[in-house]
Amino acid sequence: MLTAPEERATPAEIRKKSGESITIRWVDGHTSTFAARYLRGRCPCAQCVSETSGERLVSEEHIRPDIALEAARTVGNYALHFSFSDGHTTGIYSFDYLRRICPCEECA
Amino acid sequence: MSEAAITESKVLDALRSVMDPDLRRDIVSLNFIRNMKIEGGTVSFDVNLTTPACPVKDRLREQSRQAVLDRVPGVKDVRVNMTAEVRRPPAPETGRIRGVKNIIAVGSGKGGVGKSTVAANIAASLARSGAKVGLLDADIYGPSIPIMMRSKDEPEIKDQVIQPVNAHGVKLMSMGYLSGEMPLIWRGPMAHKALQQSLLGVNWGELDYLVVDLPPGTGDVHLTLVQTVPVTGAVIVSTPQDVGLQISMKTLRMFQQTKVPLLGIIENMSYYVCPHCGGRDEIFGHGGAALAAESLGVPFLGEIPLDPAIRKHSDAGMPVVLAEPESASARALAELTGKLAQQVSIQAFRSVPLTIVEE
Repeated sequence: MLTAPEERATPAEIRKKSGESITIRWVDGHTSTFAARYLRGRCPCAQCVSETSGERLVSEEHIRPDIALEAARTVGNYALHFSFSDGHTTGIYSFDYLRRICPCEECA
Repeated sequence: MSEAAITESKVLDALRSVMDPDLRRDIVSLNFIRNMKIEGGTVSFDVNLTTPACPVKDRLREQSRQAVLDRVPGVKDVRVNMTAEVRRPPAPETGRIRGVKNIIAVGSGKGGVGKSTVAANIAASLARSGAKVGLLDADIYGPSIPIMMRSKDEPEIKDQVIQPVNAHGVKLMSMGYLSGEMPLIWRGPMAHKALQQSLLGVNWGELDYLVVDLPPGTGDVHLTLVQTVPVTGAVIVSTPQDVGLQISMKTLRMFQQTKVPLLGIIENMSYYVCPHCGGRDEIFGHGGAALAAESLGVPFLGEIPLDPAIRKHSDAGMPVVLAEPESASARALAELTGKLAQQVSIQAFRSVPLTIVEE
């Protein structure tokens, strides 16, 4: 049973445009496009966000502009996993999180 | 009307009036009708359901027969053959276990609620209905399934692939096998590796259902499971008291957070029927799970009595659904397994395929 908030964070289609970006069309019709650098700068893993304080340790300005998204795969039913060209692979981006960080004008 | 007037399309039109109560569509558009033959006034066809454990099988058979008799002139006899083919939900290809159609996780909020007993009986009951079933004992703290399924064999390893043990028609693998007689004192990373091996390094073959008996609560094993394979759905086993204490809710929320659909809640040790006087005693209270399920919008699959026969047969190595299939407890277990199989079918129809399209 999908309730409204669940629909918001349920992907209908996921497209990866070479190393540049990931585009998710959500079940509710909204579309989010995430650039590689934007995603890398918002990695939710414990190396990028302090586990004790919740403070962000690695953000977008620390990331080189030509960073590429080398690979993307699904994690179970609930998240995406990315491999970036700087060798960073530890982030698991849940669909809830991805919808929350949608960079479009409407959401930002 | 002449017999020549009976056509396949007239029969299909008549069958469009028969609805599958769970999938809420008619059995023709669901593509259930197969092998139709019309010979004189006799019409025969198969109704290919989504699970052999379907609890409404007899009702659908009768409705199909009646619909054709009533609506197609000239029909004198209708022969309905019920078959089943478990459908696979469209899930991502990555991490899938080849040949395994559905993965059902069985969890609980705390230990001692009879989760493993319920898992063993669900697996045995599905197998008894004709489905191809695997059972993975992932309870690293107390792997007890091998005792309940009377399997003394250790699995063989052929070409680095573990061959599951056959127990009562169920393909069985236990994480307990990986350590022999030693207790499983594992840190997170070890449990993670062991579960991945038990899921992906086992020759499961073709399975309609793989039932995974999880450790109680929430932890490493749960996370590894949901991250390694697309889980079709999860079942929570609780006692009436456990729900009152809100312990099961944590497990439930974990599945929600990791987008594992909740197939339902089962209330175990629901009541006790005194063998001497026949009086019913609700030792842990009663009905808590049904109420919790209703408030959460999750199907309530059924209640299982606190019955010494369930324990006795488990200890002797044969699930009660096989040892005493006509007993009240076995019937309760078989009935809730049917409801569970329905929920799996609904999930398989509802889920959206999740793949990443490379441009």
